[in-house]
Amino acid sequence: MVQRTLADVWRREAPHVLGALLRRYGDLGDCEDAAQEAAEAAASQWPVDGVPDNPRAWLIRVASRRLIDRTRAESARARREALDLARRPDDADVAPGADEVPGTEVDDTTRLLFLCCHPALSRPSQVALSLRAVAGLSVAQIAAAYLVPVRTMTQRLSRARATLRDAGARFAMPSDEELPARVAAVLDVCHLVFTEGYTRTSGETLVDVELAEEAIRLTRQVHVALPDHDEATGALALMLLTHARLPARTDSAGDLVPLAEQDRSRWRRGLIAEGVALLEETLPRGHVGRYQLQAAIAAVHAEASTYQATDWMQISVLYDMLSRVAPAPTVTLNHAVAVAMAHGPTVGLALLDPLLTEPAMRRHHRLYAVRAHLLELNGEVEAAAENYRRAAQVTTSLPEQRYLNRRLRRLGR
Amino acid sequence: MKYVILIHSNPQPWGHPTSDYLAAHQGLPDDVRKRLNAEFEQVMSELQANGELIGGEALGDPAAARLYRWQDGSPLASDGPYSEAKEHLAGFFLVDVESRARAEEVAARFAGPGETVELRPAMWPGGDDQ
Repeated sequence: MVQRTLADVWRREAPHVLGALLRRYGDLGDCEDAAQEAAEAAASQWPVDGVPDNPRAWLIRVASRRLIDRTRAESARARREALDLARRPDDADVAPGADEVPGTEVDDTTRLLFLCCHPALSRPSQVALSLRAVAGLSVAQIAAAYLVPVRTMTQRLSRARATLRDAGARFAMPSDEELPARVAAVLDVCHLVFTEGYTRTSGETLVDVELAEEAIRLTRQVHVALPDHDEATGALALMLLTHARLPARTDSAGDLVPLAEQDRSRWRRGLIAEGVALLEETLPRGHVGRYQLQAAIAAVHAEASTYQATDWMQISVLYDMLSRVAPAPTVTLNHAVAVAMAHGPTVGLALLDPLLTEPAMRRHHRLYAVRAHLLELNGEVEAAAENYRRAAQVTTSLPEQRYLNRRLRRLGR
Repeated sequence: MKYVILIHSNPQPWGHPTSDYLAAHQGLPDDVRKRLNAEFEQVMSELQANGELIGGEALGDPAAARLYRWQDGSPLASDGPYSEAKEHLAGFFLVDVESRARAEEVAARFAGPGETVELRPAMWPGGDDQ
């Protein structure tokens, strides 16, 4: 019971504890270590002494003490440097002390996400660091989620922290000029974590961390911090609407069930309602970005009682808008499917032709899978088989490959 | 995304690093050999520092292999090598990198005179779109 409480408290408090430490001591790696030690101290003391009235203050106090102890134990030169840093906190004039509970609940989480999504870092590093520092996952959990050894993930994280240090990254809100790009990076990171979690649930490995839910939790916090940010709202809506399909997405054998064949009664209506409500709040405001458009497409699917009843005309219009706002080969692929459903397979196939000459798409299984599907609809069995075969060759996803091979067998080729 | 980098080689006698036992490598001027070895060291430490290297092993002499073939409902053992090809699997590295482009860049740096480097994507439950 206490174990469960502890885990919940930790996940909730981690960004605030780190935030408080960072305001005072600056270095992300040191602060994370100290926060982790405080969490370990809580794990041994709380089951005996009970959970303190103010767990956050307790954790901050213990972590600060550890940080100071460690500083004292280090060499004289390192000690001078650390004390010097401690004497000059980043924003000493405005920040509350490390032991106080700051009134900047949401800001801490967002600020920490902004720090972890610093442009000096690669996307995978931003993702790993955000899961570690903001979501409060252990290195072992993150390593398990991405199927790499703990040592590999540890190296990736320390390289990321060193890069932040070298770049002089600060625990503060980015400037007005930097803000839009940084929010976009934060949303991309959240969305990457989400899709990772979402595709993984179709696989054979059970991971003890629900990445998709973690991503929704983070995006929700960004949305709370920036309620007027249309794309933050859109990203949250998109994740909720996609997550709603989860129970119908795999069959009992763990194989992928395509949208067309999903049992829609298993979709989570509550998540759909929430996603649609968020969209209704943001769409009339005018600025329409890629996440809102993707969410709108997901909402149109959610509203159809069957695949056949889908409003393909509306979806093809939305994809057309998306291909202008955020052109990408995958958008073209989906656009082609929608157009094929609305106007017939040959119109859809024509949209795909330019992709065949794009080097980046030559190894993309989705291009061949979509072509195969449209060719099959058009009765071109031989060409469809050839494309299913090519798609199965280039995909690296096991469930996807099983699905494609099944389609191929069904064609009898 | 994960890739396996397979080193196909035929060092004589069999040994590691393979480059020390390959005529094509031994025939190079000393400074070139030194440079190639240093470059290999560099890409290895770079992979390690980035957290891109998951693991790898150097393999023993293919002549020491034991082969198991299925015959009449049970395994039948015989001694290697597995194939009479002029190169054998000599070692492998498993990497986890951001993109296929990065995997190709890394694999190219594993190449050396007298051997073939093969880059293969790993299949996995989630899969990647490349």
